[in-house]
Amino acid sequence: MLFVILESNLLAVEPGLVVWSAITFLLLLLVLRKFAWKPILSALENRETHIRESIERAEEAQRKADENLKSYQKIMEDARKESREILEKGRMTAETMREEILDKAKEESARMVEKAKKEISLEREKSLDEIRGLAVDLSLAAASKLVERSLKDSDHEKIVEQYIKEMKVS
Amino acid sequence: MLGYWTTVTDPEKQGPDDVGAGFILEHVQDHVVIELPTVLGIDMSITIHVLMMWIACAILLLLFALARRQIGLVSRGFGNAVESVVVFLKGDIIEAYLGEEGKRFTPYLLTAFFFVLTCNLLGLVPGAATATSNLAVTGTLAVLTFLIGQTAGILKKGIIGYFKSFLPAGVPGFVAPIVFFIEFIGVFTKHSALAIRLFANMMADHLIVLTFLGLIIIFKSYLVALLAVPGAVALELLAVLIAVIQAYIFTMLSAVFIGIALAEEH
Repeated sequence: MLFVILESNLLAVEPGLVVWSAITFLLLLLVLRKFAWKPILSALENRETHIRESIERAEEAQRKADENLKSYQKIMEDARKESREILEKGRMTAETMREEILDKAKEESARMVEKAKKEISLEREKSLDEIRGLAVDLSLAAASKLVERSLKDSDHEKIVEQYIKEMKVS
Repeated sequence: MLGYWTTVTDPEKQGPDDVGAGFILEHVQDHVVIELPTVLGIDMSITIHVLMMWIACAILLLLFALARRQIGLVSRGFGNAVESVVVFLKGDIIEAYLGEEGKRFTPYLLTAFFFVLTCNLLGLVPGAATATSNLAVTGTLAVLTFLIGQTAGILKKGIIGYFKSFLPAGVPGFVAPIVFFIEFIGVFTKHSALAIRLFANMMADHLIVLTFLGLIIIFKSYLVALLAVPGAVALELLAVLIAVIQAYIFTMLSAVFIGIALAEEH
């Protein structure tokens, strides 16, 4: 078998074929480099950059979204806290106001009662004074009438009656 | 047995019935298709292997003309298939063995892979020949790898640095000349092996398939075909695998040798 190979010059290197191989291969190399490898490799590179940039953009967007979410959550939390505070404050204000109003009303009513009592007693005093004065006048008048009557005995009864009449009239 | 083979290869002794090994050699041997005059003492005739190389080139040009339009930011269809091969070679061979520096050698290594692969596979087509089973073709490719790698090494390290890199650091003075010599010869050996590996594999592929079929003729019995044909088919399938593997190995070793030439120390 080996003998066949050697005999048939299978290992011989033909110079013509070497030249043709070199020319063919180098031409193929030049043509493929310009029309195949350059566009294909640049397409691969473009895709690589595109993918990398897309991932970076996506990560950036994710980061921003997280940030936004956090800030919105904080705003919500603040708002809730504030509303609670406002409610609490309102309730407290209402409570104080109610108590104040109640106190004031009690005081007012007390004061009014006091004033009424005072007025009543004042009026009573005044009427008593009047009555007293009237009684004095009456007794004086009666006394003076009596004195007059004693002068004229006969008319005693008449005077008393008249006096009583007068009294009734007044 | 050996005598039989030699007799059938001798055209004068080859009778009409003794076509045993003749067709084997016809398949693997180069022969002139178009006679051309000699230029500077070199016979420039177009042989079957030159023709096969041109057919390979035509197929590749057609393939990449088709694929190119389909490869872009979003590749589709056939372009995807071609692209995946290019990506594999770029990542697993060129960047793996040459790193950033590999960019400059990408066109050469990609062309070498596709050219060798197409030539290898074309050899499996009935009636065609395998250009890569010719030592002149594989030798030319190996010489190109050699020239590219060594030139890049000299340009990178300077002529003194280039020769210095054949001497590993820490070698004692008295063995230095021997080590230098071995390393220097090693460069040529490696590239010769590159040429012979591809040539021998492609040659053996065809020899063994044809030998299986030749058994039918040698034994002059159709019964032998019951074993020989399935065997030949199995080996032909193996040959498809080997065609791809050898193209891959040639490209990978080219990248490795260029990488060694570029390395500061090895």
